[in-house]
Amino acid sequence: MTGITDSESDASSVSKRLNKILETRVENDTNTLEGLKELSVFFKENTLQSRRNLRSKIEKRSLEINADFLSAFQVVKEKLDSVYNDVKAMNESVQIMTTQLHSTKTHTHRLIEQTLKLQSDAKKISMQQQVAEAFIGQFQLSPEQLALLTDSNISQSFFEALDKVHSIHERCRTLMQSGLRTVALDIMEQMSRYQEAGLDKLYRWAQFHCKGIESIEMSNLLTRAMARLQERPVLFKYVVHEYCISRRAVMVQMFIDALTSGGPGGTPKPIEAHSTDSKRYVGDMLAWLHQAIPNERENILLLLRDCSKEELSKDIDEALSNITEGVCNPLQVRLETVIQQETSPSNLYSVISLLKFYHNIISSVIPGSVLESVFIEQTSACRKQFFSLLEDIVAKMLQDRVEAPPSNLTPAPGVLHLLALLRQVLSVASVTENRQVDIVKIVASVIDPLLQAVSLSAARLTTTDMAVYLLNCFHQMASTLALYEFTDQRLERLQAQSDAQIDTLTSEQASSLVANLNLGPIYTILQDSSDAPLSQIPGMEPECLDSFFGKLEHFLMMPDMLLLPQINYLQSSNHRLEIQRRANEVISAIYRQLYQRIHDPKNMYSNPSHLMPRSPEQVHELLLGLKEPKKNENTSGIISL
Amino acid sequence: MSAGPYNYEYIFKYIIIGDMGVGKSCLLHQFTDKKFMADCPHTIGVEFGTRIIDVAGQKVKLQIWDTAGQERFRAVTRSYYRGAAGALMVYDITRRSTYNHLSSWLTDTRTLTNPSTVIFLIGNKCDLDSADGSQRDVTYEEAKQFADENGLMFVEASAKTGDNVEEAFLETAKKIYQSIQDGRLDLNAAESGVQHKPPQLGSDFTPNKDPCSC
Repeated sequence: MTGITDSESDASSVSKRLNKILETRVENDTNTLEGLKELSVFFKENTLQSRRNLRSKIEKRSLEINADFLSAFQVVKEKLDSVYNDVKAMNESVQIMTTQLHSTKTHTHRLIEQTLKLQSDAKKISMQQQVAEAFIGQFQLSPEQLALLTDSNISQSFFEALDKVHSIHERCRTLMQSGLRTVALDIMEQMSRYQEAGLDKLYRWAQFHCKGIESIEMSNLLTRAMARLQERPVLFKYVVHEYCISRRAVMVQMFIDALTSGGPGGTPKPIEAHSTDSKRYVGDMLAWLHQAIPNERENILLLLRDCSKEELSKDIDEALSNITEGVCNPLQVRLETVIQQETSPSNLYSVISLLKFYHNIISSVIPGSVLESVFIEQTSACRKQFFSLLEDIVAKMLQDRVEAPPSNLTPAPGVLHLLALLRQVLSVASVTENRQVDIVKIVASVIDPLLQAVSLSAARLTTTDMAVYLLNCFHQMASTLALYEFTDQRLERLQAQSDAQIDTLTSEQASSLVANLNLGPIYTILQDSSDAPLSQIPGMEPECLDSFFGKLEHFLMMPDMLLLPQINYLQSSNHRLEIQRRANEVISAIYRQLYQRIHDPKNMYSNPSHLMPRSPEQVHELLLGLKEPKKNENTSGIISL
Repeated sequence: MSAGPYNYEYIFKYIIIGDMGVGKSCLLHQFTDKKFMADCPHTIGVEFGTRIIDVAGQKVKLQIWDTAGQERFRAVTRSYYRGAAGALMVYDITRRSTYNHLSSWLTDTRTLTNPSTVIFLIGNKCDLDSADGSQRDVTYEEAKQFADENGLMFVEASAKTGDNVEEAFLETAKKIYQSIQDGRLDLNAAESGVQHKPPQLGSDFTPNKDPCSC
């Protein structure tokens, strides 16, 4: 079987190969085609010979080709060799370069390090520079600012520079606290120098320009300057002083203008146009001053607007005092003239009143000023002059004119004249409080010598005439004084003096009544305390009494009949009535006593009611015009006769 | 440019006159403090008040001298008329006597002030003229006629309520300002009652030529 199989398998493999060959297409086999194409190059004739030689020919050709190849490769090899050599050489040089590089590298490393160090150094330094610049910026002035501080002009930037100096000075404290004592102290010293120089310059400038406070540009600079200078009280004071001097001159000029040239076109008239009218002249001058002060105060406030307000009011008061000092002299001269030349005490008193009024004002507006002292001085001079003038007038008048009392016992013309003068002075409208002292003194200067003179001139008169004359004078004085305040004490004294005279006159009048009514002996007997019955005493017999009752009856009908003639000269009806009343009371009292005694049975009058038909009450009523009060009988009663 | 040294251009001097108790001081207080002082004491001599007002866009400082009405101060107060630019003459509409005295006040004012002085008549206490129980003693018409005859400006005002108080002071100022504009009031003369406080440019002692620096 195998054989079969084998043959079968052989057969199949042969067929396979055969198939393969059959299937093989020459045109598809490129290698074969190439080979064939190549073959066709040299196999030109298909001869046997050539077929036999083909193999060798092919081999020979192959050999040739290989030899060609070899020779060709020889070149390539040579080239490669040279390339190799080149590369090798290159390698070598690279090698050298590498080593060189390496060595360079090690070499430059230090350089780089150095560079880096330098760079960081540079950074540090530039930072330090910045710091230093900032430091200088903070702690030093710029050249411009320095120039501002020293050149002659003052501008707003000057103050900025000065502010800077100040703030640097302040900052130095921080510097000092952070330990930089030396530098801080150096800078502080430097700044202090700048500050001094700056303030010194500012001071000179302000001193020169302070009068320009009313100009818009100056005022802003000036107020700042003053605020700065306040740190240096001495310089500050000097500038204020300089300012005051300039304002003083301005104010004096304005005052003189108001005095001598008046307003525009002569209205208002110059104050001196009224120099003959002391009251108006002085009043106008003082009112002018009063009104000038607010403007000056405003100006000075403006100058010191930016200054710290503490303790400034003292400076302002001082400055105002200083400014107003200028007008003191012209004012004083004029006041003195007025005081010396015024001849009317009442005008002089008006001037005193005005001076006191304005003294009050000035002392509240600018206390302690020279102007105030002028007021004090002139007020006192004026008072002195006033009282001396008043005393002179009074003395002269009393010497020349207080004559003997006139026959009608009215106050002499001199007395009336002096009282008129007193009235005139006291009527001066007071514009000040507290004039009590003056009034008391004025009254004393007139009334005291007058009283003396009146008493003296009355001394020659009889008691009754004197009493009437004095009473009339006292009455005139009292009625003058009663119109004015602060005269109470004086009036009381006059009243007491009047009372004494009234007593005298009452006594005179009563005596006269007693005498005229033949009451003297009866009264004496009544006072006598004898035990014997009254009717048996000589002089008390009913017949004797009858003559008295007859006269009394007459008197009761016409009470004025027995009045002393001088009593009618009394100017005060009150005085007159009082004297009459009190004298009549005496008669009424005696009558009552007599009535009681006669009605007393012990006195053994036979028909008392027939003897004395009138009751004491009736008599009292007739004499005194009113019902006798039942009680307190002996009122003002019996005075010693 | 910054503000001038003064915050005003002019000072006008005023006086307030009139009988005692007509409310002169109260008017001043109402004007300067916008308050009514119920128990205003009698003025002793002369009091002083100021206020800055606006007249035609200009700032004007009023310097007001309030005089005592009491007769005893007359000698003092008469001296304050000098050089007043404005005079406020006050009476009390509820007291005829204060109105009757106006002619004497007017005579004083005319003789003691400039011809250019503006006189303003104020009838004060018009608050007391209410419909129920008026205390009025002088009619508006009568006073108005008096004012017209004498060439015075006139209002009725109340220091208590503040009615017309502003107006009286402001109208007076306007009239004065007008006089200045018309040239009737010479500012350069002393005692004209008006002081000018202008910005003095280019004065002799200008230290800095650059106007911006201030």
